Amino acid sequence: MKKITLKITINGRKHTLRIDPNLRLLDLLRDELRLTGTKEGCGIGECGACTVILDGRAVNACLILAGQCNGREVVTIEGLTGKDDLHPLQQAFIDHGAVQCGFCTPGMIMSAAALLDQNPTPTEEDIREAISGNLCRCTGYTQIVEAIQAVADDN
Amino acid sequence: MTSYRYIGRRVPRIDARDKVTGRTVYSTDRYSENMLRARVLRSSLPHAKIIRLDVSRARELPGVEAVLTHEDIPGHNGFGIVTPNWPVLCVDRVRYRGDALALVAARDEETAEEALSLIEVEYEPLPIIETPEEALREDAPLIHEGGNIQHSMDIPPKGDVEKGLAESDIVIEETYSTQFMEHAYLETEGGVAIYDEEEGVITVWCGDQYAFRDQLQIARSLDWDPLKIRVIGSPTGGAFGGKDEISVQIHLALLAYYTKKPVRLHWSREESIVAGPKRHAMKTTFRIGMGNDGKLKAIDVKVVANTGAYDTIAGPVLNLSLESSPGPYKYPQSRFRGISVYTNNAMGGEFRGFGAAQVVFGLEQELDKLAERLGMDPIEFRLLNAVEEGDISALGHRLQTSVGIKETLEAARKTDLWRDREKIKRDLNAAARYKKFGVGVASEWHAVGLGVGLPDFSNIIVEIHEGGEIILRTGAIEIGQGNLTAYAQMLAEALGCDIEKIKVIHGDTFESPDSGTVTASRSILINGNAILDAVKTLQPKLIEIAADKFGIPGDELEYSDGRVSFRSDPDRTLTLAELADHAGSSGVPIKVTGTAVFATSDKDFGDGLPHNYYTYITQIALVGVDTGTGEVEVLKVISLPEMGKAINVDGVEGQCEGAVVMGQGYTLYENVVVEKGEFKTTGFATYILPTALDVPEQETVIVEKFEKSGPFGAKGVGEAPTVPVTPAIVNAIYDAVRVRFKKLPITPEAVLEKMRDLAGTEER
Repeated sequence: MKKITLKITINGRKHTLRIDPNLRLLDLLRDELRLTGTKEGCGIGECGACTVILDGRAVNACLILAGQCNGREVVTIEGLTGKDDLHPLQQAFIDHGAVQCGFCTPGMIMSAAALLDQNPTPTEEDIREAISGNLCRCTGYTQIVEAIQAVADDN
Repeated sequence: MTSYRYIGRRVPRIDARDKVTGRTVYSTDRYSENMLRARVLRSSLPHAKIIRLDVSRARELPGVEAVLTHEDIPGHNGFGIVTPNWPVLCVDRVRYRGDALALVAARDEETAEEALSLIEVEYEPLPIIETPEEALREDAPLIHEGGNIQHSMDIPPKGDVEKGLAESDIVIEETYSTQFMEHAYLETEGGVAIYDEEEGVITVWCGDQYAFRDQLQIARSLDWDPLKIRVIGSPTGGAFGGKDEISVQIHLALLAYYTKKPVRLHWSREESIVAGPKRHAMKTTFRIGMGNDGKLKAIDVKVVANTGAYDTIAGPVLNLSLESSPGPYKYPQSRFRGISVYTNNAMGGEFRGFGAAQVVFGLEQELDKLAERLGMDPIEFRLLNAVEEGDISALGHRLQTSVGIKETLEAARKTDLWRDREKIKRDLNAAARYKKFGVGVASEWHAVGLGVGLPDFSNIIVEIHEGGEIILRTGAIEIGQGNLTAYAQMLAEALGCDIEKIKVIHGDTFESPDSGTVTASRSILINGNAILDAVKTLQPKLIEIAADKFGIPGDELEYSDGRVSFRSDPDRTLTLAELADHAGSSGVPIKVTGTAVFATSDKDFGDGLPHNYYTYITQIALVGVDTGTGEVEVLKVISLPEMGKAINVDGVEGQCEGAVVMGQGYTLYENVVVEKGEFKTTGFATYILPTALDVPEQETVIVEKFEKSGPFGAKGVGEAPTVPVTPAIVNAIYDAVRVRFKKLPITPEAVLEKMRDLAGTEER
């Protein structure tokens, strides 16, 4: 397969890469760049474990080809973390007990981050809507919604 | 009352920081440069003879490093927690659509996929058995040589149940049926294996529930020294019982052995649904007798379980169905019988709630019906019949550990939702005339531990290193439930040290001792007791070290709050760090082992039956039923668990909230549909999980009752809240629209149909 050139910014860092045209964004992140905080739970956009922020919007990285991201900007869970500081959402997830097995957590936090970027003061209904594409099998969502609400309340 | 620094408080999880930053490395997050990608060839028929299996073309494909069949298995070609009859790779027969026939390892996914398509299989189809009823017919084809009954259990009857029923004023009888349920952990089964030829060691990373059992099962199939197999099973992205059994472990070990390269295998969601175990589909028949005074007199229960193609742990699941089926109530006469039957529809296995969810769904509706016959309040009726500590159970064993069912019912009665339920329903109805609202209650006792006669133990190791770092080693797996944090809390409390000083090394057969499996709500009680045992050994050792350092007899010293001090001069002390430094400089590091074994029941009915510890729980549900669409909305659930002492309040709430939503899914949406052995549900578009938009408001009321033989008084809570939420919702639906359900899940269509039937009956 003929490789294509991809210019992409990931977590603030510019990359120029030669990639297969059928490479998914998810595989670029995980397999090529070892940014394994982004998870694969279904591969067909039904679970949200692979949610990343593409040009400010939450997307499923399993449904997007890396080649579609030419000239665009991607933020993953690794990019949300400052050097020592946690993003307020990450701190809130810890404080509210919103983490159990943790496999849905990065995708859930990315959906919440995209929401708060667009709407810093969402209602509970907005929060539930924003994470409705992110499945969690452990928590029952209560503590997750509380964590996101707490960050929104501080805004 | 004892005042604790860590126990019974809200303690943030010690693994949360790595999880929220994406730094936690799960087994499926492991990649390396020359890593091969593996795929499994699954059967394309649910039941067939294999006439020919030809992998020669696949082996010739460039980029393919190995194609393995049953001929390449050096040892036993089978696995299974109890009976290892589930083939690693099928020889001459397939029994369900998930059966594995061949393994491929190739340089990339595409090549592996292409290689699978080049494998030629010729089948001779066999009749497909879908249900236990079909399997039990005299002329039914045999799925296994020994017959289609996998396991049968007839608990020695207590008294004479027929006499008890004959003497009852009211006798009711009903049969309930439940569906296959999918675990749907977000991380599907997967991992990585590496073979170190020089050391002769095969290492397998695979999120599981018991690395040491995986180690033995891999060793048995590879004919390998188990001590040369390293399994790292922790952490895992959700398990719920579904990862206690082998999935990818033996396949990965075989491929690593033959290719001598790192191999990665990660099941797709569809593969996870088709090949992995499910909550057993079951049919349960109850006959229950009661006096006009509201006292239960007799219960007769028959359970038929659809266990699917192989055994894994089906016997104990059925046994626990029987043990759970009377609930925490007194019956002078009882009889419990069950069979587990092979079919070609999916694989039944272990699932949080372990046989109880299926039967409690029926029992707690029967109890509501009985209460209604006498015009009694459902909670009063349950209180009248509830067991107490020291009572003889419905099964005939003595309840010798803490029994809190009455306390949970009394707490439930005091909640606003229960007390003001008529007003709450009226207010809701005033705002939504097309809906009807109802409140339901249900209870359960859920066994904790593996049960009598099974190896129910734990070993843990505590080390104190120079500088004061404390290492706790446990074979327990972090499957999401928060046990590592609870262990650190218990160790910090017992030692009197800061929790931040403790590092937990977990779930690694080379780096941690065997703590038993993380299942059966057992790991808090048993590992907690092992930790306390270690601390009991550790304290005199620390005094010995201090005595050596000070050059005085040990009896002049005492240990408390993370330091050894002089009895005569409490200000003269040595901290844990100073003690560890001294021990280190004398060349004797501080390291102790703690062990614990479950105390067992006074009766033994075989195969783990019965248990000695139970979680008791009552749950209340508020639902709204749309009378136009039949849609059921769960508006609120209150869980009132009695699990002894709560170690981490956040953890208990998290377990309850997650379990309630799992139970809500089981009740209303989730159904693995298998027709003629073919899976109709293969992903989350057809297998519907509750989302953040569907779930109820929740409240957890922790009902504590100290258990003297538990660590700090604790038992366990992981499974119980999954169970009575189902009949609580169903009883609430009845309260709303006066129809009952004998079958799960309760779809809007089923609700509408029942409501139409009811309207028809009323018109007539």
